[in-house]
Amino acid sequence: MNMDKHLKVIDACRFCFMCRHLAPLALVTGKETDTPRGRALIADQIRMNKENLKNQDYVQALYQADLSGACRTHCVSSYDEVGLVLELRKDIVDAGVQPQAVKDFAQQFINPSFTITGEGDVLYFNHPCIKVHAPEMKAAFDKLAPKHKTIEGNDCGTALQILGYQKQADEAAEKFVKAVKESGCKTLVVPQPAAFHFIKSKNLLPDVKVLNTAEFLLTLDIPKKSGTLWPIDSDFLKNYQKNNAPRELLEKLGYKLKEFGITHEESYTCGEGSMTMVFLYPENVSKLVERVREFAERYEAGTLVVASPYTKLALRTYAPELDVISVEEAAAR
Amino acid sequence: MLLNRKSYLYQMIKSELTWIVGDDYVQSDDAEKLGHSIDYYWVPEVWHDRGQKLTGPDFIVHPKTAEEVSKILQVANTHKIPVTPWGGGAGSQGGALPIYGGIALDTKRMNKVLNIDPISMTVTAETGIIAQHLEWEVNKAGFSTMHFPASIACSTLGGFIAHRGTGVLSTKYGKIEDMITSMEVVTPTGDIINTLPVPRHASGPDLAQLFLGSEGTLGVVTKATMKIHPIPESRKFHAFLFSNMHDGLEAGAKIMTSRLNPSVIRLYDNPETAKLIKRVLGIDRVGSYLVFGFDGPEEVVDIQLEKACEICSEHGIEDLGTESGQVWWDNRYKFYYPPYMFQLPQAFGTLDTVADFSHIEAVYHAMHDAVKEQYPKAAYIGHFSHWYDWGCMLYARFIIEQPPQDPEEAVALYNRIWDAAIRAAISNGGVINEHHGVGLKLGRMMRDLYGPAFKVLEGIKKTLDPNNIMNPGKLGFSGY
Repeated sequence: MNMDKHLKVIDACRFCFMCRHLAPLALVTGKETDTPRGRALIADQIRMNKENLKNQDYVQALYQADLSGACRTHCVSSYDEVGLVLELRKDIVDAGVQPQAVKDFAQQFINPSFTITGEGDVLYFNHPCIKVHAPEMKAAFDKLAPKHKTIEGNDCGTALQILGYQKQADEAAEKFVKAVKESGCKTLVVPQPAAFHFIKSKNLLPDVKVLNTAEFLLTLDIPKKSGTLWPIDSDFLKNYQKNNAPRELLEKLGYKLKEFGITHEESYTCGEGSMTMVFLYPENVSKLVERVREFAERYEAGTLVVASPYTKLALRTYAPELDVISVEEAAAR
Repeated sequence: MLLNRKSYLYQMIKSELTWIVGDDYVQSDDAEKLGHSIDYYWVPEVWHDRGQKLTGPDFIVHPKTAEEVSKILQVANTHKIPVTPWGGGAGSQGGALPIYGGIALDTKRMNKVLNIDPISMTVTAETGIIAQHLEWEVNKAGFSTMHFPASIACSTLGGFIAHRGTGVLSTKYGKIEDMITSMEVVTPTGDIINTLPVPRHASGPDLAQLFLGSEGTLGVVTKATMKIHPIPESRKFHAFLFSNMHDGLEAGAKIMTSRLNPSVIRLYDNPETAKLIKRVLGIDRVGSYLVFGFDGPEEVVDIQLEKACEICSEHGIEDLGTESGQVWWDNRYKFYYPPYMFQLPQAFGTLDTVADFSHIEAVYHAMHDAVKEQYPKAAYIGHFSHWYDWGCMLYARFIIEQPPQDPEEAVALYNRIWDAAIRAAISNGGVINEHHGVGLKLGRMMRDLYGPAFKVLEGIKKTLDPNNIMNPGKLGFSGY
């Protein structure tokens, strides 16, 4: 089974409570299954008896995971509970016992096609999460860097991989890589942090410079700004890639940054690590957003700045009264 | 209880609970039951590991307010269902295990800081808040709880109250029972009561101290007010090496009886120095490692540190300096993360107890001998980690590398060692426990410890909880 790659993680996490304070979903549901320990216990039950893979209570718990990666960042030994869950999802899909909602949702990402438009040496990935849910992020980028090509059409395999569809994810990635190569561009800007992590961690484009938006904007000469922003870091950039470019950019631009919430360690992305929670488990996202809203009120936060279109979508959907902008928009102001 | 999930009574009770807290906050699925059937107690861990059937709750209920807790307890009394409070679930004594099924009352949604009073230097919070979150929120206001237990990241304020928990700076700032000034409690029959607003008075017995350490058997603590402190201007540590534990104990006792005011003293015996101090801190020495620390205004810290160093220099064989003390502070939680913490297949237990300075060393040796008598191959290590004007706490541990594979044999051996070691502690001037509590693990020894006084506790339990719904079978009280 795929999960066998992470048996040491099960041994380490199944009886360990030391990161529960950073399990975003558990902090709003109170559920043990929303903690790395709770999921490792489920994994252990599956390890002991493969029939447990068919238990839909277990399957649902594994698909509801927020996958923020805060646990792995906090752990003194960096045990990869996120990796364990992702491998378990592959086993679930291989066994054909994934929830129907997951099956239905995954369909839109299978067998994608990509088109390239525009002119320039830089290729911008207009990920569907941006094209459909946060076009203002692309508009801001266009304002700052008008001369570029755009690749769009679908996700590059990220969502499929996160949902456990490994074969289909690889096929999607292959098509994406082919399209990027055909563009002739040697720089690819990936504004969707999940996709950025997917491309970087799999080293899909070794001959292309792959940058997230903030990294690219750091190379431009953008006029100075003023004002105070409260950044909400991306799970994929902070916890997966250890990439601090959004904050570096905002500071370089002259913004004063104030720490949002009660700690830099906690994830306030409202489920970004899962990439799909806002679509598959919106009731959980509404609870996560409520925590952000509470902290925003209690600590009188002003404009929140996010690096992820996912987080922007979640906050706009469930807390429209909050002032939320993206890093690109902050730069284009 | 363990109701038949298909019975209509099960559905009736679930409906009543749902009406109180809402659909999202009553669970009865296999995944959530699994999570609430294992805490940090070795016995359910090994039971799980060996594929044995675990006892879990019928329902997991997540109240948001004291009023909801009250209504849940009223339902439980109506149907005579056991209720087991569950905070972080990270207790090591089995105190949060719903061993008779029924309701696991998960408190973690009651997690708000309600007020920070900078004049009285107190914070009032709901008790489901995780201690680290409480500390972070208090930090935002420029203060600290000074409560830094190893389980700060995973245990709730209520959990510490329930088990009389403690943190690494307890020597100066006290245990949780010294920190709490008042509490709101929902009694087993559903009354919402408050203890007096201040912890020192001459207005009758101290109700707060009755509920502190009651482990959910006398009700559910839903709010608490505790002291907070300014962030100290200076915090310094220093470490010494002693050739043996006896010399280190003498030095530690002298620091305390000289009435210096350290925030922490921690003395590791020779085996633990060789095993853990080397592995976790990278300090490779033969002997007993002792670290102490002071905090406060810098000149006060420096004077006290100097005096403590003078005391230790009389017996210590090596002054390890400030850096070796600071590295301990910086890594104080690392000991408890995998793979540094003991874990299965090892069998292990923390035999923590407390005694006065006249008896603590005898307690250490008596427990050592008791462990070795039961299982000669067991390792026995320990440190002395919470110091008082009159004595200190012993955090002894036994470790068996390869316990029996058969879970019943393994648990029988485990219980024999506990039984012998704790009875040895009691007969030499120690007690059952210092800061982890009694729970399921040690309840059988409560009558021995208290003698005829245990009837007083039983009488209180029967008066407050006539249907015995609250956490039955724990703290030595009768089962369900």
